Amino acid sequence: MAATELKKSRKRKVVEEDTPAAVSAFPHDVGLDMHSEDEGEDEGHAGSEDDGEVDDFPEIDTRSDSEDEEEDGSEDEEESASGSEDVEDEEEEESEVDTADDDLRIYPKPKTVISDITGQPKRVYPEIEADYDSDSSTEDLSNMNTPPWSQTPNRVGTIPMHWYDDLPHVGYDINGKKVLRPARGDELDKFLETIEDPNSWTTAFDKKAQMDKPLTAEELDIIRRLQENEIPDANYDPYEPTIEWFTGKGKEEVMPLSAAPEPKRRWVPSKWEKQKVMKIVRAIRQGRIVPNKPKATQPQFYPIWSEDTSTLHAPPPAPKPRLPTHAESYNPPEEYLPTEEERKKWEETEKEDRERDFLPQKYNALRLVPAYDQFIQERFGRQLDLYLAPRVQRVKLQINPDSLIPKLPSPQSLKPFPMYKSLQVPHEGHRVRTISVSPDGGWVVSGDEGGVVRLWEVMVGKEVKRWKFQGRVGAVEWCPRPDVSFFVVAIEEKLHFIIPPNLPTAVLTATQSLLSPATLPPQPATPSPVKWVSTAAAASTSDSPILTVNLPPSSGLPKQVVWHRKGDYLSTVSGEEGQGAVWIHQLSRRHSQAPFRKVKGSVQLVLFHPTKPYFFVATQRYVRMYNLAEQKLLKTLMPGIRWISSMDVHPSGDHLIVGGYDRKLCWFDLELSDKPYKILRYHSRALRSVHFHPTYPLFASSSDDGSIQIFHARVYNDLMTNPLIVPLKILRGHDVRDGLGVLQVRWCPRQPWLVSAGADGDVAVWCS
Amino acid sequence: MASTSGSETTHPVVFSTQTPYPLPSQRFMIPTSWRRYQLSQLVNKALSLPKPVPFDFLVRGEILRTTLAEWCAEKGIGEEETLEIEYFESVMPPQKMSTIPHEDWVSSVSCQLSGYFLTASYDGHIRVFDYSQKLLHTASTHSAPIASLCLVPTPSTPSTHLIATASHDLTARLMSLTLSSDDTDAMRTETLASLHLHTAPVASVQANATGTHLLTASWDTLIGFWDTSIPGADEVPAEDGERKKRRRVEEDAPRARRKAPLAVLKSHTARVSKAVFAAGAGAQAYSCGIDSTVRVWDVENGVCTDTITASAKPFLDLAITPLGTSALAASTDRTVSQYDLRASSTSAVTPSTATLNHPAMPSCIALPPASSSGTGIVTSAHEHQLLTGAYDGIVRLWDLRSVKSAVASFKTFEEKSKMEKKILSVDWASGVVCVGGEGGVEVWRAGEGDRAFLS
Repeated sequence: MAATELKKSRKRKVVEEDTPAAVSAFPHDVGLDMHSEDEGEDEGHAGSEDDGEVDDFPEIDTRSDSEDEEEDGSEDEEESASGSEDVEDEEEEESEVDTADDDLRIYPKPKTVISDITGQPKRVYPEIEADYDSDSSTEDLSNMNTPPWSQTPNRVGTIPMHWYDDLPHVGYDINGKKVLRPARGDELDKFLETIEDPNSWTTAFDKKAQMDKPLTAEELDIIRRLQENEIPDANYDPYEPTIEWFTGKGKEEVMPLSAAPEPKRRWVPSKWEKQKVMKIVRAIRQGRIVPNKPKATQPQFYPIWSEDTSTLHAPPPAPKPRLPTHAESYNPPEEYLPTEEERKKWEETEKEDRERDFLPQKYNALRLVPAYDQFIQERFGRQLDLYLAPRVQRVKLQINPDSLIPKLPSPQSLKPFPMYKSLQVPHEGHRVRTISVSPDGGWVVSGDEGGVVRLWEVMVGKEVKRWKFQGRVGAVEWCPRPDVSFFVVAIEEKLHFIIPPNLPTAVLTATQSLLSPATLPPQPATPSPVKWVSTAAAASTSDSPILTVNLPPSSGLPKQVVWHRKGDYLSTVSGEEGQGAVWIHQLSRRHSQAPFRKVKGSVQLVLFHPTKPYFFVATQRYVRMYNLAEQKLLKTLMPGIRWISSMDVHPSGDHLIVGGYDRKLCWFDLELSDKPYKILRYHSRALRSVHFHPTYPLFASSSDDGSIQIFHARVYNDLMTNPLIVPLKILRGHDVRDGLGVLQVRWCPRQPWLVSAGADGDVAVWCS
Repeated sequence: MASTSGSETTHPVVFSTQTPYPLPSQRFMIPTSWRRYQLSQLVNKALSLPKPVPFDFLVRGEILRTTLAEWCAEKGIGEEETLEIEYFESVMPPQKMSTIPHEDWVSSVSCQLSGYFLTASYDGHIRVFDYSQKLLHTASTHSAPIASLCLVPTPSTPSTHLIATASHDLTARLMSLTLSSDDTDAMRTETLASLHLHTAPVASVQANATGTHLLTASWDTLIGFWDTSIPGADEVPAEDGERKKRRRVEEDAPRARRKAPLAVLKSHTARVSKAVFAAGAGAQAYSCGIDSTVRVWDVENGVCTDTITASAKPFLDLAITPLGTSALAASTDRTVSQYDLRASSTSAVTPSTATLNHPAMPSCIALPPASSSGTGIVTSAHEHQLLTGAYDGIVRLWDLRSVKSAVASFKTFEEKSKMEKKILSVDWASGVVCVGGEGGVEVWRAGEGDRAFLS
């Protein structure tokens, strides 16, 4: 017994509780008691066996896990009911079989049991025991020294065995029970086997049977043949004599198989083949094809050592490291120590932007110098150097901010433009909504919300005359004609035409005869709601308006008066924000007409084109350009502004600037596109007014932030060059009152001077 | 003197002067830390003057405003070089004499008539004041603002003077002013002639030194050249409308003769702001306009002989230095530029020889009267001086030898309100500066002040 134990231990096999199937492999020798829940006490049975059999104890899966044991134990318990009965059955059966004829093959009797799982009765056959007596065809006789129960082939079916590679079992038997993987020795066992067993080198592991099997002689022969590149099948003879079936004496075919006459191609040489051949022949003759052309010989060896290497530069020597300076000393002089500001600055700068990667520090003695805290980083950096990798990954883009600024000429080279406020004219207590500069550039009229219109000199700022009207003054505008001199004041539902004082006689009489002609022109056929009332020329003075145009009642305050360049037509936009009414008045015919029957949106502004019979109408969001002569819409400009506040057209007529309450200023090239050529957002509040200088390449914009901005705007004659817009100057000096800043700007003709009207009641003149 | 220097560094200096206070011409070793004050004390002590006279010092043509050391460092002058320093009596700080309030803006003042101030106002009136600020006479001469006024020097009786005015009503007028020192009722003005040429407001009227001819400059780019003789009859037919009006206005007064110009000078392309005669009785005249040109005219022939073109400098006022060598012109770019009249203008843009920078727009220039002061001494300091009035209400006294900053300045029309009142006209005669502008008229004393008053 002790010897058995010892042997077992030598084989390093753990014997444990068997599966019922394995246990039931000893039906004869063990009693029924065996099937009780004994925990793997096999010694008794082993002892009952003879020792020789114990030597060859089959390799059972070495499962040492207690968990699995418990599991199996539970399984066993589960099956114990049926299993014990089976065994009992078997006992009876076997006794029957034993008693009956051995040769007689009968199926074992099935037994009907109630299934635990389904609750249905089922037939259960006893397990087939592959013992010596049984007729199992799978009984392997080749290995007789193994116990017969271990020779039971696992009938897991033709399944890929790798499915169970990392599982303890290799499949399931017909009863759905796990077929456990037989125990296999480890590498040491294998080695011992190869030492001990002389046949082990011709043994291969059979996955199906999960065991080592010696190769048969046939299989060894196949291996040998494959190694020698012979045909693996030993029975195949590649050199069999041919068997003549159709040739030879007496086997000729005499009769033709078809009655078709023999085709001509069988005996006529092919024309096309001849052509192909002749083509090649001709090519050879002409030398286009050279037969046996010698191949271009490439040098077999290259004389790399004999070549002159003077053209190749020697690799440059590695740069020498900078020598340490005083600052790197552990005890630098005081002047090398950073000050507080320098230290702060050093800490604030990016690591890669620092001039030095350390701060000089002072220690009294070398032994006080602490360990190098950058050691790891330094090592890592050196290793990066070895990999030829950059030490620092630069994520910051090196963009010079100056390069992003567009190249613009300096404002100093674009003089003259307004630089300073030369004088200001106060309107006491009222916002100055509107100003206008006379065409000769000498006089300014300004109208405020208190109904006062003042006439003053541009250069001196001295008011020479003032007029008082009822209600607010919506707009004032000088007539652009040079031969007459008057201006229009727009108040509630009325347009007043006023002649300034101190005119030369010729101009005065011309103006009077224009505004109050002796013979009135014929009235138009259709009565107009606009009435023209004028005083007689002789009785007219400059104190009162010589001509008054009564706009239709309840039309509101005209917010804009704009003259045509020739001074015969003027257009007014009146009405509140809701709807705008556009009127075009003609002085020579004393006639007013509304050019639009229906207007989409509320009209904010109108403008005459300086050279062509075009008419710009700005609604809240769009600027439409009409041809007045042909009475059609030319184009619609989309500035992308939510609410247009101001608009002016360049004196050339090809460019338009539009200002909006949402702080944007759009420059339109009318030849180019319906979209703005340039959008400028320089003001911080809503734009109120924009104006082009009539002669200088300047324009100005004023805003509610109290500032006026002057731009240089050079327009080129050729269509290829884009206009040049340069911001020149921000003029500040107007106060912001009630959120309103500079309400209107106007240029002096012929001088680079600007007149601006502010909500603070001041009108300022800005000189160059 | 060198022994006094001690540890201080000294500089060799030679003094010279044109004043009646000469120092012996010898080398002085002056400490370089000295300023004007120490130098002035040195001169006073060296001459042992009974009453201390402050002096200003010119080093190589520049007024010394810093210490000598700083000046030498700026100019890069070595310690060994001998400096030649010229000194002259310094300008006393101007003193305010009186204020003469006006209802309207004063566009032009004149104190050429000794003992009286003549003012022309925007309400179209000419007023005469004496030195005690008493309003002696008011004459409504124009229905429109008067832009300019000048006294025509006449060799006539001392009580009757000739005045020329230019107005926005497109005419200039010649008037006689009769003064009587005791009786204000005896003072009267009479319009002798109205000058009809211009079709735009007349900006200025100026008479020559002998009082024989007048120049008017107008916004209509024309300059009129007139003589001062009063024609016997109208030379220009009156327009219809005007005659009716004028008859109503001047029913009682004898009607002024309508006078035509001797010549019309046409060359300017924009408004002419000022036209003046050259000093002396020559037939040359100068004009400036906002077309950024100063033109030299031969008035006898009515041709423009020379043009000084500046770039983007619309000129507002013009003055010719007494020697007639240079022109001073005030422009809207806040500078007063000096142009050398002797140099021929060959280039397109004539560079200015000196530029006086102002913080506001300079509107008027006044020069000291040439040798008209009673003492007869025209000092060297005097002929380099000028006064400018600007829109910020400050009158500045400049010395052309040192144009970096003004020698002296004084603020006029000081009031509580923050708005600065503009100066429109400055006149300077015999130590009296008369300033006219938005706030009326102010009289200041400047230059060789008390001597003029004493004489």
